Amino acid sequence: MQNHSQVSARPPRRWLRGGSVARTLLGGLFAIGLVAGCERIAFYSTSQKAPDSNASSSSTTTGGSTGDQDSGATAVTRAMLLDAIATCNLDLLDEFQKAAQELDAAAAEAKQDPAARPKAQAAWTKAIDIWQRAEPFAFGPAGPTNTPGSQGLRDTIYSWPLVSRCLVEQNIVSKAYEAPTFGTTALINMRGLAAAEYLLFYTGTDNACSPASAINSSGSWAALSADELAARKAAYASSVSTGVAAMAGKLLAAWRPDEGNFDAQFRNPGKSGSAYTTEQMALNAVSDAMFHMEVHVKDQKLARPLGIMNCEAATCPEAVESRFAGRSRTHVRNNLVGFRMLMSGCNDGEGVGFDDVLVSLGATALAEKMSADVNGAITAADAIPVEDLAQAIAQNPESVEQLHAAVKRITDSLKTEFVTVLDLELPKLLEGDND
Amino acid sequence: MTERAGAVPSGRLARLASLLLREEDAAALAAFRFCFGLLGCVSAIRFLAYGWVDEFFVTPRFFLSYWGFDWLTPLSARGMHALFVALAVVSACVAVGFLYRAAIVLFFLGFTYVQLIDVTNYLNHYYLVSLIALLLSLMPLHRAYSVDAWLFPRLRSATLPAWCTHLLRFQVGAVYFFAGLAKVNSDWLLHAQPLNIWLSSRSYLPVVGPLLGERWVAYAMSWAGCLFDLTIVAFLLMPRTRVAAYAVVLFFHAVTKLLFPIGMFPAIMVVAALVFFSPSWPRNLVAFFRRRAPAPAAPALPRPADAPLPALFGARVVIAACYCAFHLLWPLRTHLYGGNVLWHEQGMRFSWRVMLREKNGSVTYLVTNPRTGRKQEVTPRKYLNGRQERDFSTQPDLILRLAHEIARDFEAREDVRPVVRAHAPVSLNGRPAELLIDPTVDLASMSDGLAKATWIRPVPETPPIHLESLAWHRP
Repeated sequence: MQNHSQVSARPPRRWLRGGSVARTLLGGLFAIGLVAGCERIAFYSTSQKAPDSNASSSSTTTGGSTGDQDSGATAVTRAMLLDAIATCNLDLLDEFQKAAQELDAAAAEAKQDPAARPKAQAAWTKAIDIWQRAEPFAFGPAGPTNTPGSQGLRDTIYSWPLVSRCLVEQNIVSKAYEAPTFGTTALINMRGLAAAEYLLFYTGTDNACSPASAINSSGSWAALSADELAARKAAYASSVSTGVAAMAGKLLAAWRPDEGNFDAQFRNPGKSGSAYTTEQMALNAVSDAMFHMEVHVKDQKLARPLGIMNCEAATCPEAVESRFAGRSRTHVRNNLVGFRMLMSGCNDGEGVGFDDVLVSLGATALAEKMSADVNGAITAADAIPVEDLAQAIAQNPESVEQLHAAVKRITDSLKTEFVTVLDLELPKLLEGDND
Repeated sequence: MTERAGAVPSGRLARLASLLLREEDAAALAAFRFCFGLLGCVSAIRFLAYGWVDEFFVTPRFFLSYWGFDWLTPLSARGMHALFVALAVVSACVAVGFLYRAAIVLFFLGFTYVQLIDVTNYLNHYYLVSLIALLLSLMPLHRAYSVDAWLFPRLRSATLPAWCTHLLRFQVGAVYFFAGLAKVNSDWLLHAQPLNIWLSSRSYLPVVGPLLGERWVAYAMSWAGCLFDLTIVAFLLMPRTRVAAYAVVLFFHAVTKLLFPIGMFPAIMVVAALVFFSPSWPRNLVAFFRRRAPAPAAPALPRPADAPLPALFGARVVIAACYCAFHLLWPLRTHLYGGNVLWHEQGMRFSWRVMLREKNGSVTYLVTNPRTGRKQEVTPRKYLNGRQERDFSTQPDLILRLAHEIARDFEAREDVRPVVRAHAPVSLNGRPAELLIDPTVDLASMSDGLAKATWIRPVPETPPIHLESLAWHRP
């Protein structure tokens, strides 16, 4: 005990026994630090209004997109946002599944009767228009395979930009599409809505494979008559349309409360059985999916064809989406509409969306800015004079550049203030590079 | 300044020698060695188990090296995995004191090398681990309670010189003090940011969740955090308040661990704060749990006034003083640059500015071929993975570094040096996003260095956002 007390019972403040020099040094340093700190406190004029100070009473905001702060309506919680997104998503998937079934039926009819091809084309157009609105909703079962609850179903329905025309054409020769499960098990870049587009809309008799490719070097492609080629394309289209309908059904079933019930997992994060351990994680999954706007829309659908990114030539019109149906402008527009459903709510912004949560949090300016930017981008898409972006780039590149700039305004906000205010993580999806 | 061995000190040197060379119970430092080695081992295993070795050091296509460390490159995939296995093994050796000197030196070199590979991996607590490993390399902590002491009886000693404890206390104290000083700014104290942002998004948590969205809670926690960091060292140094202060340390770091994804930081600081306890605390702790008197400690031996100094004592003191002076001044270097370090980041690293900002950016490079005038956009995604991009997009020197890489790539391809500009809106603590980099400046012609970067735009004048309380659940 004595030894112990010798060791531990040291006089207080012994650590300062370095002498007056050390004390002065430490004191001086402390003073410098405090002065520096005070200098930084004074750095901002604290009399300035906060950027969203108008929203100081926003704890009682409305459910509207830019609701009046003083309306006294119920505050929009994050849980309400998750509910609204789930409902919105289910409605979209239900609508898409019906359209996919119509496509399946129409493609089957066109397989039997070439005259029914326009009807199949119309059915495809209806289905893809709905799907493009659903693209920013690719979380949960539709999401990439490394995300919670994923079944990777998005790519099985529409794999763009992973599409190989040459592979599709090889299948036309080999009739691989005749396999009963082709539409649901073949490689994603030779089936789905993207393959269906080529098969239903492209009437040329050429192919995109190299001369060294077996279908060309063996002459098997050249041996197909135009009628036979058309018949095989119709049969192939029917096969992949059946696959699309099946996958649409699978995706809807994965969400529906009476089947896979991912809906409950999404609405009740943190509860037993949910793929999301916290509500914030579920919200983060949605925001990750919204980055579709950055990776697919801004960079791949617009910047690359415009020749301002990942393009060796002056422009890369061959990189536009929907080269055969020529609906690339509408696709981008529908992506923006889908994004707006998340941002401002379903039913043309009447439902609960991220903007309502931002307003409730007091970030009204950001909510208004992002809503305005999305509407501005839709207006910019509408202002492009032709439907096919490749044609627009050739004839009126400024209009496409304006759309690109408008989408960039959205993604800049998404990557900066949006994730900051909601404390969201940027998605790992950004690791992807499709060069 | 140096003395030959055997000289008898006098005056101030004698007082310094008596302070630094006093022999103290080795139990506390042995316990610290064990805990530190254990943390190193767990940390290395975490990297392996979570797949971080691949994510951080193997899959990235481009590494953002530290200024002056461009020559340092990662090993092959197998080499990096082997290195982390080796780090786990050597840190376990440090813990048990087996071949301690070699193990701690190898741990320091290996761990520091790993940290220097990519700036986007920088974390304050990794820097602290490197510094502590460096200091432990100089200390004979294998003399007690170690395999070495068991294997080599000539090494055994129940005491260790007091300078070991003083140096570690200085290092850990500096972390807390500067972390507290860094919180003395308007964002933290007057606007409660970024805590207001972080806490608001955690209102789903049970029990405390509804409170976290309240702005006053963010203010209370901001001020408490600042006061904690600024004062905890003093309270830990005073024997009367030490135990209570350590309880606060445990509470503080447990709360931060529960609320924020900060990995090993709380564990490291909880272990690091042990250096403030008395040299015999492990004996007292064991005695407390066994409800009996502590085992006899090694006697603390005041240095005899007429004892000769060890060889080069003065030189060692000067080196230690330089080390301390550096670590007192280096974190303050940002004040030479002016402005707000949270925005321009000059002087941000290695200054213990912990958890001070919620900052997100979006960088797009605009590359112009001066020969043809053709402009291209380059996304950082082409070079960086998602994790790197998030860290990089708010740090001007890293934006510059990648601009140089893009210029090199372009020049190799097109045989002409391009003009590289950056469009880099950044939001700091919820402020509206503003451009961080002057968009008119050709970054390819700017050089990196310690000088004030004129190509960084001034800090936004708007104050940070104030978030309202918003519960997760329906009202």
